[in-house]
Amino acid sequence: MRAAVEFELIKAGRAPVFRWGAASVVLGVPGISVLFFVLARSGRTSPAVAKAMTLLTDMSLAGLVGTAGQVLTVGMLMAAGIAASWSFGREFVDDAVPALFALATSRSSLVGAKFLVLTGWAAATTITTVVVVLLAGLALGLPLTPAALAVALQATAAGLLSAVLAWPLALVASCRRGYLAGFVALILVVVLTQLLTATGAGSWFPYAAPSLWMGMGGAEAAAKVSATQLALAPLVSAAAVAATIAWWGHAEAR
Amino acid sequence: MTCPALAARAVSRRFGQEQALLDVDLRVEPGEIVALVGLNGAGKSTLMRLLLGMLHADTGSVEILGRPVRGAGPAVWSRVGHLIETPPRYRELTVRESIYSAARLQALDRSTTERLTAETITLLELDHWRDRRTGALSLGNRQRLGIATAVVHRPDVLVLDEPSNTLDPLGVLRVRGFLRARATEQRTAVLVSSHHLDEVARMADRIMVLHRGRALGELDPAGADVERAFFARVLEADRHRAAVR
Repeated sequence: MRAAVEFELIKAGRAPVFRWGAASVVLGVPGISVLFFVLARSGRTSPAVAKAMTLLTDMSLAGLVGTAGQVLTVGMLMAAGIAASWSFGREFVDDAVPALFALATSRSSLVGAKFLVLTGWAAATTITTVVVVLLAGLALGLPLTPAALAVALQATAAGLLSAVLAWPLALVASCRRGYLAGFVALILVVVLTQLLTATGAGSWFPYAAPSLWMGMGGAEAAAKVSATQLALAPLVSAAAVAATIAWWGHAEAR
Repeated sequence: MTCPALAARAVSRRFGQEQALLDVDLRVEPGEIVALVGLNGAGKSTLMRLLLGMLHADTGSVEILGRPVRGAGPAVWSRVGHLIETPPRYRELTVRESIYSAARLQALDRSTTERLTAETITLLELDHWRDRRTGALSLGNRQRLGIATAVVHRPDVLVLDEPSNTLDPLGVLRVRGFLRARATEQRTAVLVSSHHLDEVARMADRIMVLHRGRALGELDPAGADVERAFFARVLEADRHRAAVR
Protein backbone atom coordinates (compact mmCIF):
# COMPACT_ATOMS: atom_id res chain seq x y z
CA MET A 1 0.00 0.00 0.00
CA ARG A 2 2.88 2.37 0.82
CA ALA A 3 4.35 1.96 -2.67
CA ALA A 4 0.92 2.56 -4.21
CA VAL A 5 0.48 5.78 -2.21
CA GLU A 6 3.97 6.92 -3.20
CA PHE A 7 3.13 6.22 -6.86
CA GLU A 8 -0.15 8.13 -6.68
CA LEU A 9 1.52 11.04 -4.88
CA ILE A 10 4.13 11.35 -7.65
CA LYS A 11 1.36 11.40 -10.28
CA ALA A 12 -0.85 13.81 -8.32
CA GLY A 13 2.08 16.16 -7.72
CA ARG A 14 2.55 16.48 -11.47
CA ALA A 15 -1.14 16.63 -12.41
CA PRO A 16 -2.52 20.06 -13.36
CA VAL A 17 -6.03 18.89 -12.42
CA PHE A 18 -5.03 18.74 -8.74
CA ARG A 19 -3.09 22.03 -8.79
CA TRP A 20 -5.71 24.01 -10.69
CA GLY A 21 -8.60 22.42 -8.80
CA ALA A 22 -7.08 23.39 -5.45
CA ALA A 23 -6.14 26.89 -6.66
CA SER A 24 -9.67 27.51 -7.99
CA VAL A 25 -11.25 26.58 -4.66
CA VAL A 26 -8.66 28.17 -2.36
CA LEU A 27 -8.77 31.49 -4.25
CA GLY A 28 -12.25 31.39 -5.78
CA VAL A 29 -14.33 30.60 -2.68
CA PRO A 30 -12.84 33.38 -0.48
CA GLY A 31 -12.95 35.76 -3.46
CA ILE A 32 -16.65 35.21 -4.12
CA SER A 33 -17.51 35.31 -0.40
CA VAL A 34 -15.61 38.54 0.22
CA LEU A 35 -17.21 40.09 -2.88
CA PHE A 36 -20.69 39.20 -1.60
CA PHE A 37 -19.80 40.53 1.86
CA VAL A 38 -18.47 43.84 0.53
CA LEU A 39 -21.52 44.23 -1.72
CA ALA A 40 -23.92 43.54 1.16
CA ARG A 41 -22.04 45.91 3.45
CA SER A 42 -22.07 48.71 0.85
CA GLY A 43 -25.76 49.42 1.59
CA ARG A 44 -26.45 50.01 -2.09
CA THR A 45 -29.55 48.65 -3.76
CA SER A 46 -29.02 46.47 -6.79
CA PRO A 47 -29.90 42.88 -7.86
CA ALA A 48 -26.33 41.81 -7.00
CA VAL A 49 -26.60 43.23 -3.50
CA ALA A 50 -30.02 41.62 -3.03
CA LYS A 51 -28.54 38.23 -4.02
CA ALA A 52 -25.58 38.74 -1.67
CA MET A 53 -27.97 39.53 1.19
CA THR A 54 -29.77 36.19 0.71
CA LEU A 55 -26.50 34.29 1.27
CA LEU A 56 -25.27 36.31 4.25
CA THR A 57 -26.87 35.56 7.57
CA ASP A 58 -25.21 38.52 9.32
CA MET A 59 -22.43 41.04 8.72
CA SER A 60 -19.93 39.38 11.06
CA LEU A 61 -16.99 37.05 10.47
CA ALA A 62 -19.37 34.16 11.22
CA GLY A 63 -21.62 35.44 8.44
CA LEU A 64 -18.71 35.69 5.98
CA VAL A 65 -17.47 32.18 6.83
CA GLY A 66 -21.03 30.83 6.60
CA THR A 67 -21.36 32.26 3.09
CA ALA A 68 -17.98 30.84 2.14
CA GLY A 69 -19.14 27.45 3.50
CA GLN A 70 -22.11 27.48 1.13
CA VAL A 71 -19.90 28.27 -1.87
CA LEU A 72 -17.32 25.74 -0.65
CA THR A 73 -19.81 22.84 -0.71
CA VAL A 74 -20.47 23.44 -4.41
CA GLY A 75 -16.82 24.20 -5.19
CA MET A 76 -15.46 21.08 -3.50
CA LEU A 77 -18.03 18.80 -5.17
CA MET A 78 -17.03 20.20 -8.55
CA ALA A 79 -13.26 20.16 -7.95
CA ALA A 80 -13.24 16.72 -6.29
CA GLY A 81 -15.58 15.34 -8.96
CA ILE A 82 -13.26 16.46 -11.74
CA ALA A 83 -10.18 15.19 -9.86
CA ALA A 84 -11.72 11.77 -9.10
CA SER A 85 -13.04 11.29 -12.64
CA TRP A 86 -9.68 12.25 -14.11
CA SER A 87 -7.63 10.18 -11.66
CA PHE A 88 -9.45 6.96 -12.57
CA GLY A 89 -10.48 7.74 -16.15
CA ARG A 90 -7.00 8.74 -17.29
CA GLU A 91 -5.72 5.21 -16.72
CA PHE A 92 -7.97 4.10 -19.59
CA VAL A 93 -7.61 7.18 -21.78
CA ASP A 94 -3.79 7.01 -21.53
CA ASP A 95 -3.70 3.22 -22.11
CA ALA A 96 -2.02 2.75 -18.74
CA VAL A 97 -4.31 -0.01 -17.45
CA PRO A 98 -2.23 -3.06 -18.54
CA ALA A 99 0.69 -1.69 -16.50
CA LEU A 100 -1.49 -1.87 -13.37
CA PHE A 101 -1.96 -5.64 -13.74
CA ALA A 102 0.40 -8.49 -12.85
CA LEU A 103 2.13 -6.48 -10.12
CA ALA A 104 3.16 -7.32 -6.56
CA THR A 105 1.03 -4.33 -5.57
CA SER A 106 -2.59 -5.35 -5.86
CA ARG A 107 -5.16 -3.34 -7.77
CA SER A 108 -7.16 -2.91 -4.57
CA SER A 109 -4.09 -1.19 -3.05
CA LEU A 110 -3.70 0.98 -6.14
CA VAL A 111 -7.37 2.01 -6.02
CA GLY A 112 -7.23 2.52 -2.25
CA ALA A 113 -4.16 4.73 -2.71
CA LYS A 114 -5.98 6.83 -5.28
CA PHE A 115 -8.83 7.46 -2.83
CA LEU A 116 -6.38 8.17 -0.02
CA VAL A 117 -4.54 10.78 -2.08
CA LEU A 118 -7.81 12.28 -3.32
CA THR A 119 -9.12 12.53 0.24
CA GLY A 120 -5.88 14.07 1.52
CA TRP A 121 -5.91 16.60 -1.32
CA ALA A 122 -9.59 17.42 -0.63
CA ALA A 123 -8.93 17.86 3.11
CA ALA A 124 -5.91 20.11 2.49
CA THR A 125 -7.87 22.19 -0.03
CA THR A 126 -10.90 22.55 2.26
CA ILE A 127 -8.89 23.48 5.36
CA THR A 128 -6.71 25.96 3.43
CA THR A 129 -9.81 27.60 1.95
CA VAL A 130 -11.46 28.07 5.34
CA VAL A 131 -8.22 29.50 6.78
CA VAL A 132 -7.95 31.94 3.84
CA VAL A 133 -11.57 33.04 4.43
CA LEU A 134 -10.84 33.64 8.13
CA LEU A 135 -7.73 35.67 7.24
CA ALA A 136 -9.70 37.65 4.66
CA GLY A 137 -12.32 38.41 7.29
CA LEU A 138 -9.67 39.61 9.74
CA ALA A 139 -8.21 41.77 6.96
CA LEU A 140 -11.67 43.31 6.53
CA GLY A 141 -11.55 44.26 10.21
CA LEU A 142 -14.03 41.65 11.43
CA PRO A 143 -13.31 40.39 14.97
CA LEU A 144 -12.55 36.71 15.52
CA THR A 145 -15.31 35.28 17.72
CA PRO A 146 -16.15 31.80 19.05
CA ALA A 147 -19.20 31.85 16.76
CA ALA A 148 -16.95 32.48 13.74
CA LEU A 149 -14.68 29.58 14.73
CA ALA A 150 -17.70 27.29 15.18
CA VAL A 151 -18.96 28.19 11.68
CA ALA A 152 -15.43 27.67 10.33
CA LEU A 153 -15.45 24.12 11.72
CA GLN A 154 -18.91 23.54 10.26
CA ALA A 155 -17.76 24.85 6.86
CA THR A 156 -14.72 22.54 6.95
CA ALA A 157 -16.95 19.55 7.71
CA ALA A 158 -19.45 20.52 5.01
CA GLY A 159 -16.66 21.02 2.46
CA LEU A 160 -15.21 17.59 3.24
CA LEU A 161 -18.62 15.92 3.08
CA SER A 162 -19.19 17.46 -0.35
CA ALA A 163 -15.75 16.35 -1.53
CA VAL A 164 -16.14 12.69 -0.53
CA LEU A 165 -19.54 12.66 -2.22
CA ALA A 166 -17.60 12.92 -5.49
CA TRP A 167 -16.03 9.47 -5.03
CA PRO A 168 -18.90 7.64 -6.79
CA LEU A 169 -17.74 9.45 -9.93
CA ALA A 170 -14.55 7.37 -9.73
CA LEU A 171 -16.74 4.28 -10.17
CA VAL A 172 -18.53 5.89 -13.12
CA ALA A 173 -15.20 6.80 -14.77
CA SER A 174 -13.90 3.25 -14.16
CA CYS A 175 -16.98 1.43 -15.46
CA ARG A 176 -17.19 3.66 -18.54
CA ARG A 177 -13.40 3.48 -18.98
CA GLY A 178 -12.77 7.22 -19.31
CA TYR A 179 -13.09 10.53 -17.48
CA LEU A 180 -15.74 12.07 -19.76
CA ALA A 181 -18.45 9.85 -18.26
CA GLY A 182 -17.42 11.08 -14.80
CA PHE A 183 -17.69 14.69 -15.92
CA VAL A 184 -21.16 14.08 -17.37
CA ALA A 185 -22.28 12.37 -14.16
CA LEU A 186 -20.94 15.33 -12.16
CA ILE A 187 -23.03 17.79 -14.19
CA LEU A 188 -26.11 15.60 -13.72
CA VAL A 189 -25.52 15.44 -9.94
CA VAL A 190 -25.14 19.23 -9.69
CA VAL A 191 -28.33 19.85 -11.73
CA LEU A 192 -30.29 17.27 -9.73
CA THR A 193 -29.06 18.78 -6.46
CA GLN A 194 -30.21 22.24 -7.52
CA LEU A 195 -33.63 20.91 -8.52
CA LEU A 196 -34.15 18.98 -5.29
CA THR A 197 -32.90 21.89 -3.18
CA ALA A 198 -35.24 24.30 -4.97
CA THR A 199 -38.23 22.02 -4.37
CA GLY A 200 -37.38 21.72 -0.68
CA ALA A 201 -36.83 17.96 -0.85
CA GLY A 202 -33.06 18.15 -0.61
CA SER A 203 -32.09 17.29 2.93
CA TRP A 204 -32.48 13.54 2.37
CA PHE A 205 -30.50 13.81 -0.87
CA PRO A 206 -26.87 13.38 0.25
CA TYR A 207 -25.52 15.82 -2.35
CA ALA A 208 -27.82 18.63 -1.12
CA ALA A 209 -27.55 18.07 2.65
CA PRO A 210 -24.12 19.77 3.22
CA SER A 211 -25.17 22.92 1.32
CA LEU A 212 -28.51 23.09 3.14
CA TRP A 213 -26.72 22.57 6.45
CA MET A 214 -24.53 25.61 5.63
CA GLY A 215 -27.65 27.69 5.06
CA MET A 216 -28.13 27.62 1.29
CA GLY A 217 -31.86 27.07 1.78
CA GLY A 218 -32.09 29.60 4.61
CA ALA A 219 -31.64 29.40 8.37
CA GLU A 220 -34.85 27.43 8.91
CA ALA A 221 -33.90 24.72 6.39
CA ALA A 222 -30.37 24.57 7.85
CA ALA A 223 -31.72 23.90 11.34
CA LYS A 224 -33.81 21.00 10.03
CA VAL A 225 -30.84 19.10 8.55
CA SER A 226 -30.25 16.14 10.86
CA ALA A 227 -27.06 14.24 11.71
CA THR A 228 -28.56 11.18 10.03
CA GLN A 229 -29.02 13.10 6.80
CA LEU A 230 -25.43 14.35 6.93
CA ALA A 231 -24.18 10.84 7.74
CA LEU A 232 -25.51 9.64 4.40
CA ALA A 233 -22.58 11.41 2.69
CA PRO A 234 -19.78 9.27 4.20
CA LEU A 235 -21.97 6.18 3.73
CA VAL A 236 -22.41 6.91 0.02
CA SER A 237 -18.70 7.64 -0.24
CA ALA A 238 -17.65 4.43 1.55
CA ALA A 239 -20.00 2.36 -0.61
CA ALA A 240 -18.49 3.96 -3.73
CA VAL A 241 -14.94 3.19 -2.56
CA ALA A 242 -15.86 -0.45 -1.86
CA ALA A 243 -17.65 -0.80 -5.21
CA THR A 244 -14.73 0.77 -7.12
CA ILE A 245 -12.22 -1.55 -5.44
CA ALA A 246 -14.45 -4.54 -6.27
CA TRP A 247 -14.83 -3.38 -9.88
CA TRP A 248 -11.08 -3.08 -10.39
CA GLY A 249 -10.59 -6.48 -8.76
CA HIS A 250 -12.71 -8.15 -11.44
CA ALA A 251 -12.01 -5.85 -14.38
CA GLU A 252 -10.10 -6.92 -17.46
CA ALA A 253 -7.36 -4.97 -19.22
CA ARG A 254 -8.79 -5.21 -22.73
CA MET B 1 10.43 -32.26 -13.37
CA THR B 2 10.32 -28.49 -12.84
CA CYS B 3 7.10 -26.62 -13.35
CA PRO B 4 6.91 -24.38 -16.40
CA ALA B 5 7.21 -20.64 -15.89
CA LEU B 6 4.16 -20.10 -18.08
CA ALA B 7 1.56 -22.64 -19.09
CA ALA B 8 -1.71 -22.34 -20.98
CA ARG B 9 -3.79 -25.46 -21.53
CA ALA B 10 -6.64 -25.58 -24.05
CA VAL B 11 -7.30 -21.91 -23.54
CA SER B 12 -10.17 -20.25 -25.39
CA ARG B 13 -11.46 -16.71 -25.33
CA ARG B 14 -14.20 -15.03 -27.31
CA PHE B 15 -14.98 -11.31 -27.68
CA GLY B 16 -18.62 -11.15 -28.73
CA GLN B 17 -18.85 -13.01 -32.06
CA GLU B 18 -15.07 -13.03 -32.47
CA GLN B 19 -13.25 -16.19 -31.40
CA ALA B 20 -9.96 -14.59 -30.33
CA LEU B 21 -8.37 -17.85 -29.13
CA LEU B 22 -9.42 -21.49 -29.48
CA ASP B 23 -7.90 -24.41 -27.61
CA VAL B 24 -4.42 -22.95 -27.44
CA ASP B 25 -1.63 -24.68 -25.52
CA LEU B 26 1.62 -22.97 -24.58
CA ARG B 27 4.51 -23.80 -22.29
CA VAL B 28 7.56 -21.68 -21.51
CA GLU B 29 10.29 -23.20 -19.37
CA PRO B 30 12.79 -21.29 -17.19
CA GLY B 31 15.77 -20.16 -19.27
CA GLU B 32 13.84 -20.45 -22.52
CA ILE B 33 12.84 -17.77 -25.02
CA VAL B 34 9.62 -18.54 -26.85
CA ALA B 35 8.40 -16.29 -29.64
CA LEU B 36 4.79 -15.93 -30.67
CA VAL B 37 4.45 -15.02 -34.31
CA GLY B 38 1.36 -14.30 -36.32
CA LEU B 39 -0.38 -11.74 -38.47
CA ASN B 40 -2.33 -8.85 -36.97
CA GLY B 41 -5.31 -10.15 -35.00
CA ALA B 42 -3.84 -13.64 -34.68
CA GLY B 43 -4.38 -13.63 -30.92
CA LYS B 44 -0.83 -12.99 -29.70
CA SER B 45 -1.72 -10.09 -27.38
CA THR B 46 -4.85 -11.87 -26.17
CA LEU B 47 -2.81 -14.94 -25.21
CA MET B 48 -0.25 -12.77 -23.39
CA ARG B 49 -2.98 -10.92 -21.51
CA LEU B 50 -4.52 -14.23 -20.45
CA LEU B 51 -1.15 -15.43 -19.17
CA LEU B 52 -0.82 -12.23 -17.10
CA GLY B 53 -4.36 -12.33 -15.67
CA MET B 54 -5.40 -9.23 -17.60
CA LEU B 55 -8.11 -11.22 -19.34
CA HIS B 56 -10.05 -14.22 -18.12
CA ALA B 57 -10.19 -17.39 -20.17
CA ASP B 58 -13.63 -18.69 -21.19
CA THR B 59 -12.30 -22.25 -20.98
CA GLY B 60 -8.95 -23.88 -20.26
CA SER B 61 -6.40 -23.16 -17.59
CA VAL B 62 -3.52 -20.71 -17.23
CA GLU B 63 -0.63 -21.06 -14.80
CA ILE B 64 2.26 -18.79 -13.97
CA LEU B 65 5.25 -20.08 -11.99
CA GLY B 66 3.19 -23.15 -11.12
CA ARG B 67 0.21 -21.22 -9.71
CA PRO B 68 -3.21 -20.68 -11.31
CA VAL B 69 -3.08 -17.14 -12.65
CA ARG B 70 -6.39 -16.17 -10.98
CA GLY B 71 -5.00 -17.01 -7.54
CA ALA B 72 -1.48 -15.66 -8.03
CA GLY B 73 -0.45 -13.25 -5.29
CA PRO B 74 2.34 -10.72 -4.73
CA ALA B 75 4.99 -13.44 -4.31
CA VAL B 76 4.31 -14.63 -7.86
CA TRP B 77 3.76 -11.26 -9.55
CA SER B 78 6.92 -9.77 -8.04
CA ARG B 79 8.82 -12.31 -10.20
CA VAL B 80 7.06 -11.27 -13.40
CA GLY B 81 7.76 -8.36 -15.74
CA HIS B 82 5.71 -7.36 -18.75
CA LEU B 83 5.21 -4.86 -21.50
CA ILE B 84 1.91 -5.24 -23.30
CA GLU B 85 1.32 -3.28 -26.51
CA THR B 86 2.10 0.24 -25.34
CA PRO B 87 4.97 1.57 -23.22
CA PRO B 88 4.09 3.41 -19.98
CA ARG B 89 1.80 6.34 -20.70
CA TYR B 90 2.21 8.63 -17.71
CA ARG B 91 3.41 11.52 -19.82
CA GLU B 92 3.95 13.74 -16.76
CA LEU B 93 6.51 11.44 -15.11
CA THR B 94 10.21 11.55 -15.92
CA VAL B 95 12.10 8.51 -17.18
CA ARG B 96 13.62 7.99 -13.73
CA GLU B 97 10.27 8.35 -11.95
CA SER B 98 8.63 5.87 -14.33
CA ILE B 99 11.29 3.21 -13.75
CA TYR B 100 11.44 3.93 -10.01
CA SER B 101 7.64 3.62 -9.68
CA ALA B 102 7.56 0.37 -11.65
CA ALA B 103 10.16 -1.12 -9.29
CA ARG B 104 8.40 0.13 -6.15
CA LEU B 105 5.12 -1.40 -7.31
CA GLN B 106 6.96 -4.72 -7.49
CA ALA B 107 7.45 -4.53 -3.71
CA LEU B 108 11.12 -3.55 -3.71
CA ASP B 109 12.34 -1.37 -0.84
CA ARG B 110 13.47 2.19 -1.55
CA SER B 111 17.24 1.64 -1.50
CA THR B 112 17.07 -1.44 -3.74
CA THR B 113 14.71 0.45 -6.03
CA GLU B 114 17.11 3.40 -6.28
CA ARG B 115 20.03 1.10 -7.10
CA LEU B 116 18.15 -0.98 -9.68
CA THR B 117 16.63 2.14 -11.25
CA ALA B 118 20.10 3.63 -11.79
CA GLU B 119 21.43 0.31 -13.15
CA THR B 120 18.48 -0.10 -15.51
CA ILE B 121 18.78 3.44 -16.86
CA THR B 122 22.38 2.67 -17.74
CA LEU B 123 21.55 -0.80 -19.07
CA LEU B 124 18.92 0.57 -21.48
CA GLU B 125 21.12 3.60 -22.27
CA LEU B 126 18.54 6.10 -21.08
CA ASP B 127 20.98 8.27 -19.07
CA HIS B 128 20.63 11.24 -21.40
CA TRP B 129 16.84 11.27 -20.95
CA ARG B 130 16.83 10.35 -17.26
CA ASP B 131 15.10 13.55 -16.08
CA ARG B 132 13.04 14.13 -19.20
CA ARG B 133 9.25 13.77 -19.11
CA THR B 134 8.00 10.59 -20.76
CA GLY B 135 5.69 12.61 -22.99
CA ALA B 136 8.69 14.36 -24.55
CA LEU B 137 10.45 11.13 -25.59
CA SER B 138 10.64 9.75 -29.12
CA LEU B 139 8.70 6.54 -29.80
CA GLY B 140 11.90 4.49 -29.75
CA ASN B 141 12.99 5.87 -26.41
CA ARG B 142 9.54 5.32 -24.96
CA GLN B 143 9.79 1.71 -26.06
CA ARG B 144 13.16 1.39 -24.32
CA LEU B 145 11.59 2.94 -21.24
CA GLY B 146 8.79 0.38 -21.45
CA ILE B 147 11.34 -2.44 -21.52
CA ALA B 148 13.17 -0.80 -18.60
CA THR B 149 9.98 -0.76 -16.48
CA ALA B 150 9.43 -4.44 -17.30
CA VAL B 151 12.93 -5.59 -16.33
CA VAL B 152 13.92 -3.19 -13.53
CA HIS B 153 13.08 -5.67 -10.74
CA ARG B 154 15.00 -8.47 -12.51
CA PRO B 155 12.02 -10.81 -12.98
CA ASP B 156 12.17 -14.56 -13.54
CA VAL B 157 9.43 -14.36 -16.16
CA LEU B 158 9.24 -11.75 -18.91
CA VAL B 159 6.27 -11.27 -21.21
CA LEU B 160 6.99 -8.69 -23.90
CA ASP B 161 4.57 -7.81 -26.65
CA GLU B 162 6.55 -6.73 -29.71
CA PRO B 163 9.50 -5.39 -27.69
CA SER B 164 11.45 -4.26 -30.77
CA ASN B 165 8.62 -2.05 -32.04
CA THR B 166 9.89 1.41 -33.04
CA LEU B 167 13.47 0.58 -31.95
CA ASP B 168 16.34 1.46 -34.28
CA PRO B 169 18.53 -1.41 -35.55
CA LEU B 170 21.02 -0.89 -32.73
CA GLY B 171 18.21 -0.89 -30.17
CA VAL B 172 16.89 -4.16 -31.62
CA LEU B 173 20.34 -5.73 -31.31
CA ARG B 174 20.75 -4.55 -27.73
CA VAL B 175 17.33 -5.79 -26.61
CA ARG B 176 17.95 -9.11 -28.29
CA GLY B 177 21.32 -9.43 -26.58
CA PHE B 178 19.87 -8.46 -23.23
CA LEU B 179 17.02 -10.99 -23.42
CA ARG B 180 19.36 -13.75 -24.58
CA ALA B 181 21.73 -12.99 -21.68
CA ARG B 182 18.85 -12.97 -19.14
CA ALA B 183 17.61 -16.33 -20.37
CA THR B 184 21.04 -17.96 -20.46
CA GLU B 185 22.62 -16.49 -17.33
CA GLN B 186 19.61 -15.93 -15.02
CA ARG B 187 17.33 -18.66 -16.41
CA THR B 188 14.64 -16.09 -17.06
CA ALA B 189 11.68 -17.43 -19.02
CA VAL B 190 10.90 -15.05 -21.87
CA LEU B 191 7.79 -14.91 -24.03
CA VAL B 192 7.94 -12.36 -26.85
CA SER B 193 5.64 -11.62 -29.73
CA SER B 194 6.81 -10.17 -32.98
CA HIS B 195 6.04 -9.64 -36.65
CA HIS B 196 9.71 -9.79 -37.51
CA LEU B 197 10.48 -13.41 -38.25
CA ASP B 198 14.19 -12.88 -38.89
CA GLU B 199 14.58 -11.20 -35.55
CA VAL B 200 12.81 -13.89 -33.52
CA ALA B 201 14.68 -16.59 -35.42
CA ARG B 202 17.93 -15.10 -34.11
CA MET B 203 16.71 -14.87 -30.53
CA ALA B 204 14.14 -17.57 -29.75
CA ASP B 205 14.59 -21.18 -28.73
CA ARG B 206 11.14 -21.98 -30.06
CA ILE B 207 8.75 -20.16 -32.38
CA MET B 208 5.03 -20.76 -32.03
CA VAL B 209 2.68 -19.75 -34.84
CA LEU B 210 -0.73 -18.31 -34.04
CA HIS B 211 -3.27 -17.71 -36.78
CA ARG B 212 -6.89 -16.63 -36.41
CA GLY B 213 -6.78 -17.55 -32.72
CA ARG B 214 -5.46 -21.07 -33.30
CA ALA B 215 -2.02 -22.50 -32.65
CA LEU B 216 -0.46 -23.82 -35.88
CA GLY B 217 2.47 -25.57 -34.24
CA GLU B 218 6.10 -24.50 -34.11
CA LEU B 219 8.76 -23.34 -36.53
CA ASP B 220 12.42 -24.26 -36.30
CA PRO B 221 14.38 -21.08 -35.46
CA ALA B 222 17.44 -22.64 -37.05
CA GLY B 223 15.53 -23.50 -40.23
CA ALA B 224 16.74 -22.25 -43.61
CA ASP B 225 13.84 -19.89 -44.35
CA VAL B 226 11.62 -19.16 -41.37
CA GLU B 227 9.54 -16.63 -43.29
CA ARG B 228 8.70 -19.10 -46.05
CA ALA B 229 7.85 -21.77 -43.46
CA PHE B 230 5.59 -19.32 -41.63
CA PHE B 231 3.57 -18.35 -44.69
CA ALA B 232 3.32 -21.96 -45.82
CA ARG B 233 1.82 -22.82 -42.43
CA VAL B 234 -0.63 -19.91 -42.55
CA LEU B 235 -1.72 -20.59 -46.14
CA GLU B 236 -2.26 -24.24 -45.38
CA ALA B 237 -4.46 -23.31 -42.40
CA ASP B 238 -6.50 -20.90 -44.54
CA ARG B 239 -6.95 -23.52 -47.29
CA HIS B 240 -8.05 -26.08 -44.75
CA ARG B 241 -10.49 -23.57 -43.25
CA ALA B 242 -11.95 -22.76 -46.67
CA ALA B 243 -12.33 -26.46 -47.50
CA VAL B 244 -14.16 -27.17 -44.23
CA ARG B 245 -16.60 -24.32 -44.95
